[in-house]
This record gives sequence, C-alpha cells and structure tokens, in this order.
Amino acid sequence: MSTATLTDRYIDAAMRTVPEKQRADLAAELRASIDDQVDARASADGDRDAAERAVLTELGDPEVLAAGYTDRPLQLIGPRYYLEWWRLLKLLLWIVTPFAAFGVALGKTLSGAELGDVIGTTVVATLGTILHLAFWTTLVFAIIERSTAGKPSGVPSPRGAAADIASAPGVFSGWTVDNLPEPRESGAGFSDMVVTIVFLIIGAGAILWDQFIGFAPAYPGLSFLDPGLWPWWITGLFVVMAIEAILQVVVFLRGRWTFGLAAVNAALNVVVAVPALVLLFEGRLLNAEFWTTVIPPDSSETVATIMAIMTGFGIAAIALWDSIDAFLKARRAR
Amino acid sequence: MSETEALETHLQELRRGTIVLACLRLLEQPGYGYGLLEELEQRGFDTDANTLYPLLRRLEKQGHLTSEWNTDEARPRKFYRTSPAGSRLAVALTDDFRAIAASIDALSSEN
Repeated sequence: MSTATLTDRYIDAAMRTVPEKQRADLAAELRASIDDQVDARASADGDRDAAERAVLTELGDPEVLAAGYTDRPLQLIGPRYYLEWWRLLKLLLWIVTPFAAFGVALGKTLSGAELGDVIGTTVVATLGTILHLAFWTTLVFAIIERSTAGKPSGVPSPRGAAADIASAPGVFSGWTVDNLPEPRESGAGFSDMVVTIVFLIIGAGAILWDQFIGFAPAYPGLSFLDPGLWPWWITGLFVVMAIEAILQVVVFLRGRWTFGLAAVNAALNVVVAVPALVLLFEGRLLNAEFWTTVIPPDSSETVATIMAIMTGFGIAAIALWDSIDAFLKARRAR
Repeated sequence: MSETEALETHLQELRRGTIVLACLRLLEQPGYGYGLLEELEQRGFDTDANTLYPLLRRLEKQGHLTSEWNTDEARPRKFYRTSPAGSRLAVALTDDFRAIAASIDALSSEN
C-alpha cells in the first residue's frame, strides 16, 4: 500500500521533466505553494482531502506546469520554424522523390526484372523515400526548435506573433522584401511558342535526316530509328507534331494554359508515347541493325537492350512531365 | 466561438502583461508564491497559480527578481524581491501603461 499523498505524486510527476540541478529547489517551492493553498482552502471548508484535490486540479497537468517553469516548448515545430520546415520539405519532396522513383525503375529494368517486380520495387522505394525525407527533415527542425528555445514565451510582444518570429534569434536569416517570389512564367508567352515550334521543326528535321542520310557518318544510310517506320508511322508522328505546334499557337493567343488545353496536350502526349512504347516493345521502333553495325558484336546486344530501355523510360518520362507541366501552368493561371 | 468566450480571450490578452507589472511593483516588499497570489487577487488582478509560479521563475531568470529561502518558519518558503533591474522595468512598464490609457481616453473623447 503506497503512502504517497496526491501532492507527493503531483510533485513527482512535475519534476520528471525538470533538469536535475533545478529539481530540489523547484520541488520544495512547489510543495510549499501547494501546502499554503491547501491550508487556506481547508480552513475555509474543513475537508483537507477535498481541498488538496481541488488545488491540484486547478494547477492542471503537472507536465504542462513543469514546461512553464523550464521554458520547454510544447510543440514539435513552433511558428518560428514552421514555414521554413514546410517550404524545405515541399522542395525536397518535389526534387528527390521523382528522381528516386525514376532511378529505381530504370535500374530495376536494366537488371532485367519482370514488369511487376519493377512496379512493386519502385512503389516501395518511392514510399520509403517520402517517409525518410519527411522524418529526417522534421527531426532536424524539432532539434533546432529545442536548441534555440529559452526565449520568454509567457509574455508575447504586443506586435504579435509575426514580430516575434521576425525578431527571433535563429539559424535562418529574417524575411526581407528580396525574398518575394518573382511572377511565375505562365508558359504562354511569345518566346514559349517560338521555342516549342522551333524544337518541333528541329525534331522533324532530325527524323528525316536519320531516315534518309543516317546518323553515323561512317555508315551512310544507316538509320537509328527502324526504316520500316517510313512512311506511315513517321507521317502520323508529323501530323501529331503539327497539331502540337497549333496547340502552342492557341495557348499563345488565349494568353494562358487552360485545363481544356492541358487535356488536349496530355492526349497528344498519349497519342505519341503509347504507340512509340508499343513499337519499342515489339522491337519495331529502333533499327536492330544500328548497334550490330556500329559496335563490335560481342557487346552490341547489351548496348542495344540498354538503349531500348533508356529510350522507353525517356519517352514515358518526357510525356508524363510535359502533361503535368501543362496542368500546373493551367492551375497557376486560374 | 460565442461572445463570452471571445470576451474572455481578449480580456486575457489585455491583462497578460499587467500581471508582470503588478508582481514587480508588489515584490518591492519580499513575498512568496501563494502570498503573492492572494495579494494579487485582493487587489483585483485575477491570476491562476499555474500562471504565476512559472512567471516568477522566469522573471528571476531574467534578473528582474532575486530570491532567497526563508527557513525561519515551520514551512520553508522561497521569497522573491524585485531587483534594481526589475524596478527599472516596472517604471518603464508603468509609464507605457499610462501612455496607453491616455491614448485610449483620447479615443473616447473624439467620438
């Protein structure tokens, strides 16, 4: 049977999070304060137990009280660092996650894994990357929050939280007007249209050059793309490219990307990427003779396989990014 | 949020700094935790024990209060007293409080 009173237990609980060297002093002071208060209350209504209970209830959670004594922050990341944390986390997730997913998928495919294995491993690795990024970033900021604590928190400045944050000593420099973001590129300017159309023309020229002149100077007439693609597949591609050029002009005339235009852009990407991938899978996209001619036969098969896989990932990545990019621009322009 | 809750929140915000000022002025005469709590209550400064006790610690840490254990009585108590720095702070806060009060009075006379 424990003989500890409620007050003993309360003080014990409060002192648990107080640094060792302050503990004896704080415990003695807290005990005297509680006893004083209990005495005063008991002399008024006689019941000491009830008085003790009421006084401790009013003091509230002992750990909260102890946090007040020691200026211990009761949040993982407070208002001083919350925005820095959130901005950095978003940036890291945007940059690292796609690269990690793409790299794992590419590596898995190059090592000759089955499609299911590639997808499964990529999903698991991507989730793992997100978890690690979120956890470590948050941990570092939680440590920064604690290592720069000690500012009196009970008396906020009358200018409010923003002023407190701005004047807070910290590892980050304060906000200045230079931090204001530049207006975002709308993707619908004149130069955007010109650049896209020029690239489409260069692309079409490169394909024709490849078909009729050949890319390896030592082997005239040897094309990189399968010669069987001419004339119908390549003509079809040129039609889609022409529609893409028209789409760019429409975007320029409208002055912005809309969700409808972004949807058309995505459809065009699908129309190009899906047949290209099917042809690649069937071995009809790249010229099978290209590598066997250009490279010594003992390694040409490996190079051809790797090139095919890289081409496949390249097509998928470009189509996906271009589609997403148009939707992002449409959302920004809303 | 109901109207009384909003009122409570705003009153709390408005009174927060005045507790510091009252403590610094009252502790020109040494005092201990519960005694000070009682005195604040009597003088119309509504304060909770769990706000006051940590506040005394913080003011001591900042050098605005000094403390000393008094073991003369049966129950040893920690007595706080306003330091010279605390007195200067009290003067500055009192001046500012009067300035604010004057500004508010000026508001009502214009209406």
